[in-house]
Amino acid sequence: MHGTLLLSRTEISRMRRNRRFLITTLAFPVVLYLLIGTRAKATVYGVDFAAYYMVAMATLGSFSGALMNNSIRISQERKEGWIRQLRLTPLPPSAYVVAKLLAAMAISVPSVVIVLLLGRFVGSVHMSAGSWISVAVVVWLGALIFAALAVAIGYRLQPDQVQPIATLIYFVFIILGGVFFPLGGTLQQIGKFTPTYEAVKISTDLVGGVSVPAGLVVGMVVWLVIFVGLAALSVRAMAESV
Amino acid sequence: MSHSGTGPVVSFENVSKHYGSLRAVDGLSLDLRPRETVALLGPNGAGKSTSLDMLLALRKPTSGKITMFGKDPYHAVKAGDVGAMLQSGGLMPEVTVRELVTLVTGLHPRPVPVDTTLRRAGIADIADQRVDRLSGGQTQRVRFALAIVGECDLIVLDEPTTAMDVETRQLFWADMKEEVAEGKTLLFATHYLEEADQAADRILVINRGRLLADGTPAEIKSRAGAKRMSFRLDKVNEPFLLGLPGIVSVDVRGDVVQIQSSDSDATLYAVLDAGYRPREVEIGSLGLEQAFLAITAEDDAANGAANGAQPVKETI
Repeated sequence: MHGTLLLSRTEISRMRRNRRFLITTLAFPVVLYLLIGTRAKATVYGVDFAAYYMVAMATLGSFSGALMNNSIRISQERKEGWIRQLRLTPLPPSAYVVAKLLAAMAISVPSVVIVLLLGRFVGSVHMSAGSWISVAVVVWLGALIFAALAVAIGYRLQPDQVQPIATLIYFVFIILGGVFFPLGGTLQQIGKFTPTYEAVKISTDLVGGVSVPAGLVVGMVVWLVIFVGLAALSVRAMAESV
Repeated sequence: MSHSGTGPVVSFENVSKHYGSLRAVDGLSLDLRPRETVALLGPNGAGKSTSLDMLLALRKPTSGKITMFGKDPYHAVKAGDVGAMLQSGGLMPEVTVRELVTLVTGLHPRPVPVDTTLRRAGIADIADQRVDRLSGGQTQRVRFALAIVGECDLIVLDEPTTAMDVETRQLFWADMKEEVAEGKTLLFATHYLEEADQAADRILVINRGRLLADGTPAEIKSRAGAKRMSFRLDKVNEPFLLGLPGIVSVDVRGDVVQIQSSDSDATLYAVLDAGYRPREVEIGSLGLEQAFLAITAEDDAANGAANGAQPVKETI
């Protein structure tokens, strides 16, 4: 465990230096929230637009960093042989993946916290302390779900394939999940099954103080299980070719 | 130090690795003894990298058994018993050389101080540079550093001096000899014959995944069975030369005679006994390169007919 934590710490410190990473996870959702979140006047999912957009942008930050950056990095590190090199160390084989997941979760903390603080103090969103914590945790779990998906993609595909596929997945989940703007009609019926929608809707229900449907929570857990399973399959399938 | 016994450091027992119909490694058996420096020599695609991959638990043999310090390779690697540098091993980008070496040192159960490793690998001066901004030769040195971050009795290097210029290569082997002088066993793969000749005290020649020769550099050279002899002689009689004892081949150009002989002494005495007085007599061994070519060509010829001389992919 010591080795895994050491690797996670190094992963976090190198990600903090990566400008592109900081822009996608931190700057992008913060700027969008300041530009749009506090100006639009509407009610979405039964709460103020400022509250909806707060949880949407927090979800965007935690999810985009975990998916985009991780999948491309993992694919490159596999291609360049860093994963092979790590297998020659006393680290357990799972350490690389566990460190990626831990690092993705750690690195998404600032963006979640900052966007929620903006929501509270700029967007005037109010709820109980317990609800704030629950929202933060739900949105934060999105990073874990998508970091697992990133492992599944990054282990299996070449770097030049990862970029377009991860981008496609990104937009599908962002748009169908109603993260950029809430959907209506058929698209919303389809989008209801995305983990991004589930994270946003659970959070707005928490803000609105209504009871959260169990189906949404189960849905997020199912996505997590599916992506972790896919990741494990990819890692196993590529065992002799990393 | 984890190894005190006198048993083999590494043992391959009839190990094979097949990729479909391709036999990358085909019934390989060998033992490495403590404190040996052993070169694994063979052309591209001979099965060197696949053998080392299996030794380091990166790939599983199709059949046969490998042990390292009496353990299976996976557990030996996880116990930090071996330091390894792979041709295909990459480095973590976006960190400095020092951060990377510190990380990998921290993963080892018997770590060597980071500054010692940096100095030994000759990368103390680039310790604060970013890993992804190094030259090919510098990158090789950093990979080497990762192989020596911990105390271990076995070092495995796959083509360690690829991408190094001649000077860097010499420096590298000078450093390596210091490491080995501490009582370590070293196994390295190379296709540089000179390197095997100079650095190793034992050479394993492999081709088509099989062990063709195993001996000291001198033994490998003599394995090809012939010595090279040349002299000047006026009025040469070629049929006479071809009738000399031990003759393998004769080449006459003007008054210069070049002979390959399996018994150079007998050949020379016969020339003198016949009343000739050759001038500028030189007798020498075949170079390792010629010996190596002779050994592998013999093997290719023997297999060519049976296997239809299938090309061996370079990537394995």
